[in-house]
Amino acid sequence: MLAYFVAMATYAGFFMILAQGLNLQWGMTGMVNFGVAGFYALGAYSGAILSTRIGIAPELAIALAGVAAGVAGLVVSLLTMRLREDYFAIVTLGFGEIVRLFALNEDWLTEGPRGLRIPARPFDFGLSNAVYSLVYLGVVALVVLVIYAICERIRSGPYGRTLRAIREDDVVAGVLGKNVLRFRVQAFVLGSVFMGVAGALFAHYIQNISPDTFMPMIAIFIWMSVIVGGYGNNKGLLLGAGIVIFILEGSRFLGDFTSIVTSQQLSSIRIILIGIILMAVLRFRPRGLIPEPKFMSEFEKTS
Amino acid sequence: MMGQMIVNGVVTAALIAPPAVAFSMLFGILRFPNFAIGGYITVGVFTGYAANVLFGLPLWAASLAAMLAGAAVVWASDRIIFRPMRTSSPVTLLVVSIALTFVLEHTVRLVFGADVRGFDLPLERPLVFGGMHITRPQLYLMGASLLVVIVTHFLLTRTRIGKAMRAMADNSQLAEVRGIRSVLVRVMVTLYCGALLGLSGVSAGLDLVIEPLLGWGLTIPIIAAAILGGIGSVYGAMLGAVLVGLAEEFATLILPSSYKIGVGFAMITILLLLRPYGLLGQPEIKK
Repeated sequence: MLAYFVAMATYAGFFMILAQGLNLQWGMTGMVNFGVAGFYALGAYSGAILSTRIGIAPELAIALAGVAAGVAGLVVSLLTMRLREDYFAIVTLGFGEIVRLFALNEDWLTEGPRGLRIPARPFDFGLSNAVYSLVYLGVVALVVLVIYAICERIRSGPYGRTLRAIREDDVVAGVLGKNVLRFRVQAFVLGSVFMGVAGALFAHYIQNISPDTFMPMIAIFIWMSVIVGGYGNNKGLLLGAGIVIFILEGSRFLGDFTSIVTSQQLSSIRIILIGIILMAVLRFRPRGLIPEPKFMSEFEKTS
Repeated sequence: MMGQMIVNGVVTAALIAPPAVAFSMLFGILRFPNFAIGGYITVGVFTGYAANVLFGLPLWAASLAAMLAGAAVVWASDRIIFRPMRTSSPVTLLVVSIALTFVLEHTVRLVFGADVRGFDLPLERPLVFGGMHITRPQLYLMGASLLVVIVTHFLLTRTRIGKAMRAMADNSQLAEVRGIRSVLVRVMVTLYCGALLGLSGVSAGLDLVIEPLLGWGLTIPIIAAAILGGIGSVYGAMLGAVLVGLAEEFATLILPSSYKIGVGFAMITILLLLRPYGLLGQPEIKK
């Protein structure tokens, strides 16, 4: 049971990192990235290929995977930044599908649908499996905390105010002399780097990745994490990611259902539940469970 | 070889033209890209499958059942979800519609399972015209598609309700001021588009295999066709469908056929960069 809890917490960690990335892109800056699964997959595959095929130390491979996803983020954002937000959503969704198609078809590099095995274990000092899973959870938790600190620092500083100004009205931000394009590209690239790191951490944890792990469904899970928590709010999305993982994995605690429904039906029920909760939150609490605090100037606070 | 590719491309175009028209018409009234079309198509094809295979109805009756189911589910989703949320931003509604797609597809999967199925049709060889192969179901779906195009054209140009639909899509406030009953138009558009999407489900089931993710796989080429033609432009959507169908087919000359979905995306990306309002669309005038 403990092993199960540890695995669930580790998964929650991956989702939290992805959600932080999306929050930076969409929650803070208003860029509608539906290609989350693509950046996640890109990080996972580039990390895995670097550590298994080229033989780079897995710790370094994870960092480099972040760089690779960041470069992809740079290209995608430069290409699409001028688009209206709903078109932006469609093109980023397309990016995600193309990454998945590439992983599916280029077997010489990715082993295609058979799945890529990753024997390398990062942060391994000859530990037993039980201890190693705890160590890995610790590493993931540390990454979540570091990224949380970065995002909080961005959010509370003048940089974050600029991002939110762009989210609310990019023309006004531009008129005030902010280089809207540069801020947007920077936020998009940084978010992509986080997603890539999450992917590589996931790949080295699960040790076997295949393209069907990275269906567009992932994007909906991460969107749900950010929306349920409350966009623009770094604390809320940690809660949101926890809720999503609990729905996806936690139904196992409810006892043995297998006599009534098959595991396939159970997975459908989970996704239906997630979809309904997402729609209900957007309908009745569109700003999430923990809404972003309203910005007030020092003057307003004292008066 | 070349002729066969054109035939295949035209079949694909005939398959995605009706849903692309429906997507475009829905966009005109709802004012956001409704990604739930995949879910509606899946509901349509499985209703047709149940009517045809489980209840033994002929294909035309099964198509009718699919159209009724499509109309019901699009109307109901608008009534329960989208109409109460019409003041939300387009992006919020886009997220809701993607969530709705997954809910619909997985409800179907819950009931029918994920197995691959087919309609109950007599097995026969493809027909051959001058060396080009085409199956009888493909001829059915091309006929249905042509019928949809003609009916839609007459609906939009020759009937009062069709003209009201166009007026609403053009400028909803002005239309209301001129006495058009916006709620009635909205209901009619959702019912009509639902019927088109249900029928598209049956067409897709004739040409491809029936499984719950069928609709999601078609979503991308459909939206590509609608955007290519200029979102909101019905004739543009038809033109876009032909372009996407042919491009997907001819791309197999240089790319493995498994990259077909990517072709639609590449086309949208390039077009949006060069001509963001589509081939037949009008540039939007910003205030």
